Amino acid sequence: MALYTKEERSKMAVGLFSLLLVAVMMRLFYLQVISHAAYTQVAEENYIRVVPLEAPRGLLYDRNGKLLVSNRPSYSIYFIPYQIKNPEEAFKDLSLKLNLSLATPSQLLRGQSKSKYQPIRLLRDVDFKTICVLEENSLDLPGIIYQVERARKYPPRGRGSHLWGYVAEISEAELTRFSHLGYRSGDLMGKKGVERQYDYLLRGQPGVSYLKVTAQGRILGPAGSREPVPPKPGADIKLTIDWELQSVAESLIALYGSGAAVAIDPKSGEILALVSQPNFDPNLFTGVLLDTVWQRLASDSLHPLLNRCLQGTYPPASTFKILTAAAGLESGRVTTRTLFKTCRGGLAFGNRVFKCWRPQGHGQLTLMDAIAQSCDIYFYQLGEEIGLDLWSDYARRSFFGQLTGIDLPSELSGIIPSMAYFDEEYGEGKWPRTLIVNLAIGQGEVLVTPLQMAVFFAAIANGGEILEPHLIRETKYPDGRLLRAQGELLGQLPFSPNTLGIMKAALVKAVNGARGTGRAAILPSVTVAGKTGTAQNPHGEDHAWFCCFAPAQDPQIAIAIVVENAGHGGSVAAPIAREMMATYLEGQLPSSGRKRVLMSEEEGFPWGE
Amino acid sequence: MGRIDRYLVLPALLLSLLGIVLIFSALHGSSVQGGSLYLRQMIWLAVGLLVFVAVSSIAPRIYENLSSLFYLVALLLLILLFFGGVSRLGATRWFSIGPLSLQPSEFAKVAVILLLARYLANRERPQFRVRWAAFSFLMVLLPALLILKQPDLGSSLVVVAVVPGMLFWGGMPITHIALLLSPVVSLLAAFHWLSWAIFMLVLIVTLFVVRPTLRFALWVLATNLAAGIFTPLVWQRLHDYQKMRILTFLNPARDPQGGGYQIIQSKIAIGSGGLFGKGFLEGTQSKLAYLPARHTDFIFSVLGEEFGLLGCLVVLILFSVIILRGVQVARKARNHFLSLTAFGATTILAFQVLVNVGVTTGLAPVTGLPLPFMSYGGSSMLLSWSLIGLLCLVSYTWQEY
Repeated sequence: MALYTKEERSKMAVGLFSLLLVAVMMRLFYLQVISHAAYTQVAEENYIRVVPLEAPRGLLYDRNGKLLVSNRPSYSIYFIPYQIKNPEEAFKDLSLKLNLSLATPSQLLRGQSKSKYQPIRLLRDVDFKTICVLEENSLDLPGIIYQVERARKYPPRGRGSHLWGYVAEISEAELTRFSHLGYRSGDLMGKKGVERQYDYLLRGQPGVSYLKVTAQGRILGPAGSREPVPPKPGADIKLTIDWELQSVAESLIALYGSGAAVAIDPKSGEILALVSQPNFDPNLFTGVLLDTVWQRLASDSLHPLLNRCLQGTYPPASTFKILTAAAGLESGRVTTRTLFKTCRGGLAFGNRVFKCWRPQGHGQLTLMDAIAQSCDIYFYQLGEEIGLDLWSDYARRSFFGQLTGIDLPSELSGIIPSMAYFDEEYGEGKWPRTLIVNLAIGQGEVLVTPLQMAVFFAAIANGGEILEPHLIRETKYPDGRLLRAQGELLGQLPFSPNTLGIMKAALVKAVNGARGTGRAAILPSVTVAGKTGTAQNPHGEDHAWFCCFAPAQDPQIAIAIVVENAGHGGSVAAPIAREMMATYLEGQLPSSGRKRVLMSEEEGFPWGE
Repeated sequence: MGRIDRYLVLPALLLSLLGIVLIFSALHGSSVQGGSLYLRQMIWLAVGLLVFVAVSSIAPRIYENLSSLFYLVALLLLILLFFGGVSRLGATRWFSIGPLSLQPSEFAKVAVILLLARYLANRERPQFRVRWAAFSFLMVLLPALLILKQPDLGSSLVVVAVVPGMLFWGGMPITHIALLLSPVVSLLAAFHWLSWAIFMLVLIVTLFVVRPTLRFALWVLATNLAAGIFTPLVWQRLHDYQKMRILTFLNPARDPQGGGYQIIQSKIAIGSGGLFGKGFLEGTQSKLAYLPARHTDFIFSVLGEEFGLLGCLVVLILFSVIILRGVQVARKARNHFLSLTAFGATTILAFQVLVNVGVTTGLAPVTGLPLPFMSYGGSSMLLSWSLIGLLCLVSYTWQEY
């Protein structure tokens, strides 16, 4: 093979070098021109830390402007994926150092579309001690940072918990359902109660800030190249609740363990108190919810997460006699002077003997006295007289067996049995005709919620108007706009003014009459109208009912109370109602204004400041 | 001082000064000590210029006569390094002389050029013997292994890479050089039997076309077969972490946190620079320390980020001027020894520039080679200017002639 000359060889050498040089230049062209935009974005993601700024959640006030639910500063721990070489090990180490159980990295990273340079929230609302430990070990824990955020601050000991529910991070299922509403992974969301119902008002809109960060994670200050977006705070809500009344009712029901109380302003449908016991501490949900705590809440046989006011369905017992009586009067089957067979403590229907609660009997009573003394024998006969069809028709038209439409999630409708219902339950015609006998005294298959009873009694009080019960009184938007909520008129009770007048008089007598069953609810300066009830409970002690309104002439409050496994309505529930009415009506008198202002100063900020 | 070839010195000086500017920018605002490294680089440039003057002033004969001695001294220094060297980041590459530290491997590069030049200069015949090539490789094997042991993969690659360049210039047919290097390709191709089979087929066809001596042909076949058979066997016996290292070496994106991190960050720096760059001191990748080794091996990434494609092209053109002039000087050199010396020096410069830029742009795996004249470091600066000195020396003899 011929040897190349130096000329030829130098040309070959230059040729090879040029070829490689052109390759390098093409590479540079590819990186700096064709892929420039992509690399610019990566470079920014590199050094700009996107810090989401959570919007301050709207505050909750009571009807008098007392601050109930607010926000407090809290610490969240974040991790920056690319700074953690071995996530599994790092998390194990972290969980050991902080003495906390953590989700696994793969769980946290699943569904994360964010850049691995951006922090991902690991834990919300950790305590200050944990932050101290974190800070001490910060050199051994690269890629773990913390940030000050806000957490919800609820009144202690679960007070009012069934009103507002709680907030927690949005779940995956909720995210897919509500993503069109602008929720993003990691957002807080109301899970129950007012927090859930008015989440769209309370949550506001998150903002974002951009920080310049070195490779070692040192923050150099705001990144000048991007404008931060401040968060839009959520709207504040003034509830219809009277916190003093609510507190009194909560502590009274709590004495008996479990039960519910609903107080309504009969003129507007505003809920004055909504009590369900046992309650739960919503503060538990703001940060690290320990499995043990959740297990305890979920498996508690008393179901503290259940809002009994709208999710507890009970037989209304004797409180329903007022409805049966009204149905009888309105349909013309009886008048106030109609007499039935004498009460001797029991009466046979078909081949079964139905007993009165008073074994020695009531004698022969008129309608008024039968209500006042709650004679079962009278109402068995009245029920048979009216018949199932008509009775259930009146109950339905009084808005039982359907949702009241209160502004809280997961309300139950209860059951008003009809012929069709029994046909379905027992088979067509295979049920005894005497079922109506039991229904007439509010026992058997009829189920109502305390809320429905309160709405019904409020309607009796206000002359027959069914007002939609609601919890929101005023909304104050961050721009200062105020929006007053209006109670909606759902309909009328199917009773004439005359019938309503008789009902009212009977209820007054049931409390104030010499032989009234509700005498424990008597107030010295105010006439109370009400009806006791004692619901038979096959699983244990009877449930005590009391439903009432006051003052009878000009009703300002209607109440429904059920206390579980506590015994007689007259002895257990009626005194609670009396305390509640006393508390609320005293507050309504002008003379107590001074005391209220003092309380505002002590315990919270007045509305509007 | 008449030995200054402006086509060599001017671009080298411009590159050195630009290097100082980039080092200033790369470390601007970092720790007190780091922020002043550009000042030290200025001193290194001054020392480099002195070395340049010295190297270009010595009579060419002396280099030719003392080449064996240089080689032995280089070997000795490399061996002494294991006893008296300074370790940094797990590598023992430096001797410290007062506040300065020097890498003997840089000196070894020059020594290898001179020894090879002398060896091949005496063998200028119409028929190039394969035996000479084998002997050339043997000569660099010892320093290359010593450097690899430090460990300094980049420098030992440079020492080996200079051999085929000088063999080519010494008259070995390019096809024979290719055959000589074929076992390396076999090694890589053997990771899949099909690619290896195809390569062997091509190799055999090439042997029939090129028709080397029977002995050489047999040697080529034997080494290729050995590479092809042993690679998979050795591979299977490697530990997982060893495999990971090699795979990361070949494909850095496999391990974005480890070795791949450097290349990814470098590509981001260069890519985000765009046409005209982010501006002096405006590079976020380098300023905020996302770019590793930004003042040494990855100085080109700082250039790409702050001065864009335009700055990169200017630098590459300056390097091209030096290299093309180097080839020209080699071509016109007075005698064969000087010609080979010039070509060897040019080969080293070209190799380091292409590999360094190739690494920073993600074309080549990370090897740890500095960019001549520009990367921070005294040894690299002295080597670069020594090579310019040698080239100027040769250029002078040509101009004089």
